[in-house]
Amino acid sequence: MTHSGSIVFVVDDDAAVRASLENLFRSVGQDVRTFASTKAFALADPGNAAACIVLDVRLPGQSGIEFQRELALTGRSLPIVFITGHGDIAMSVAAMKAGAVEFLTKPFRQQDLLDAVHRALEMDRARRSALAEAQTLRDRFNALTPREREVMALVATGKLNKQIAAELELSEITVKVHRGHIMRKMQATTLPDLVRFWDRLLSDPNRPAAG
Amino acid sequence: MLALWVAAALLLAFFAALPFARVQLPGTEAALPAYATAILINDVLTAALLLALFSAQPAPGVLFLAIGYLFVGLLAVPWALTFPGVFAEHGLLDAGQQTTAAIAALRRCGFPVFVLAYALLRGARFPQGSLRIWSGRRAIAGAVFLVCAGTIVVTAVIVAHDQNMPKLMAGRMEASSLWTYVAGASVVLYVAAIVALLRGPRSVLDLWLLVVLFALLLEIVLLSFISSGRLSVGWWAGRGFGLAAASVVLFQMMWETTALYAHLVRSIVVERRANQMRLASLEALSASIAHELNQPLASMVTNADAGLLWLDRPEPNVTECRGALDLIASEGHRAGKVIEAIRTLFRKDTRERVMLDLNEVVTEMLPEIRRHARLGGAAVQVDLAEGAPPVVGNAVQLQQVVSNLATNAVEAMTDVADRPKILSIRTAARGPNDVLIEVTDTGEGLGAEDASRLFEPFVTTKPAGLGMGLMICRSIVEAHGGRIWATANGTAGSTFTVALPAADDHAPGIAGS
Repeated sequence: MTHSGSIVFVVDDDAAVRASLENLFRSVGQDVRTFASTKAFALADPGNAAACIVLDVRLPGQSGIEFQRELALTGRSLPIVFITGHGDIAMSVAAMKAGAVEFLTKPFRQQDLLDAVHRALEMDRARRSALAEAQTLRDRFNALTPREREVMALVATGKLNKQIAAELELSEITVKVHRGHIMRKMQATTLPDLVRFWDRLLSDPNRPAAG
Repeated sequence: MLALWVAAALLLAFFAALPFARVQLPGTEAALPAYATAILINDVLTAALLLALFSAQPAPGVLFLAIGYLFVGLLAVPWALTFPGVFAEHGLLDAGQQTTAAIAALRRCGFPVFVLAYALLRGARFPQGSLRIWSGRRAIAGAVFLVCAGTIVVTAVIVAHDQNMPKLMAGRMEASSLWTYVAGASVVLYVAAIVALLRGPRSVLDLWLLVVLFALLLEIVLLSFISSGRLSVGWWAGRGFGLAAASVVLFQMMWETTALYAHLVRSIVVERRANQMRLASLEALSASIAHELNQPLASMVTNADAGLLWLDRPEPNVTECRGALDLIASEGHRAGKVIEAIRTLFRKDTRERVMLDLNEVVTEMLPEIRRHARLGGAAVQVDLAEGAPPVVGNAVQLQQVVSNLATNAVEAMTDVADRPKILSIRTAARGPNDVLIEVTDTGEGLGAEDASRLFEPFVTTKPAGLGMGLMICRSIVEAHGGRIWATANGTAGSTFTVALPAADDHAPGIAGS
């Protein structure tokens, strides 16, 4: 169960708990970094690897749940696995509602924690690859000329070359040439590929102007 | 005090009535039934309240007093019925000329006799064995039955033997000279009862009985020696005193009952609230304990798991496994210390309280505090007040408070980098009644909201090691009759203050000299 290229951040103010968690993650070959407070964690460089946080609910100063909210607000949300010395139902409901992966009460079984962390890392990995894919699509789309973007919008809605030519007052040949460029630049092999890319671009909040 | 004012008002009314005492008011018989009804109701209610008092605290005196009120109240019925010219020309019940006066004489002399019995039996208790027979409903039912039967029998006897009665009345409305003896006898009885009541310690009831007797005394004087016979102003004024006398004890008892009831309701509410608070703080305490134990337990279990995983590897890593086992051992000791701390909190001998010099309590903890501060990179400043009064308390518990506060202070300064980390501990006398311990850090400081919520569970400046948290500190301090609070020093740290009451019997200035 080795997660190469991933890291677990442990935030717990209890030194002994920190040491034991570090030991546990190292024993399964998982990279791990520990922090005594959310403040120390906030100052650290999260890096680019898939990551998750194992977070104590009760911390000096800012509570774990407050920190969870703050991370979400600043757009740095990492999947969080909560651990607590004495959790009540209300607290766990609040944490899960705010998007926690798991809420474990100390002392917990290592398998539960490792499973939760595994899930959290998978989630982060999926999130990262989705982000990367969206970025790639944006980059390809940005490489299109304004005219090509117009043509792409019409192609994606299922219009025929003839209709597109009429609408944009171009010759059908020109439309065909644009279409070839679009397919190449967007790296789409088939028309359905292109339509799917278009849909993703539409649902991307950081989408560039359609042209 | 109020009783004195009432007595003075009665006396004033007495003198106000004097000049008109002999004016006759013919035809005012019509008001008599209303007067008798008022007397009846007031006396019976008073008797009922006294019987209720008796059922709660069976004392023979109270029973006698209740019987007296009931008897006098019930006799007002035949007295009004037989009064000539009220219901019939010569009164109802085949009354003769002497009937009404005989009943009046009986009422007049009967009441002070019962009061006298009450006064003499004050403080008396029923003999141990007879308590069952005399206490409770049976005694009350018996007394009520006897009084009712007695009233009927007495009335019947007086009516039947009207001719043989002493000639108290010379005419229909004028008393004979014989009545003077009745009046004299009742005056003597009133005075005797007053003297008996004045002797020994007086209850509130006794005080108001004195007012009653005083009113009755004024009544008899007005009726018998000043007025010009029945239905004169003096006679009616006397009746007024009679009514006042019948009402005084009733009002007093109702007042007292209502006040007691209100008091009871208040104290029930207070008790309920105290109970809830006790439950809440128990809950908080158990949550705190659970947290403190779960921390090392979690660490131990996780380390054990890690150790196993190290051994399960294709090439077992004994060094790492050994490290995990070391951690388990030290966490086991930590859990033991938590238990020890809890036991310190609840052990019987922690209730032992001795005279303590808080400076010594602090001094004894200093080596440990210094060690801890050094690990956290903080300097320790100590400022012990000279001549602070001693406190009464448990040294072990108070040391735990000091240690916890110091530990918290060091922890609060963990993240401080831009200013020196200073833990200062100060003792001081505040006024003659309080001794303070102040623990100040130069850490992150507190928000105003934090300061008030700090001592609740789950609100953390987390205690490390065996610290049982601020919750525990508060339990200990409050068990010593003191207070603990936190204040923020702007952005430069916070101060935790423990105020303990100075020992009562210390001579100022001696301690610490």
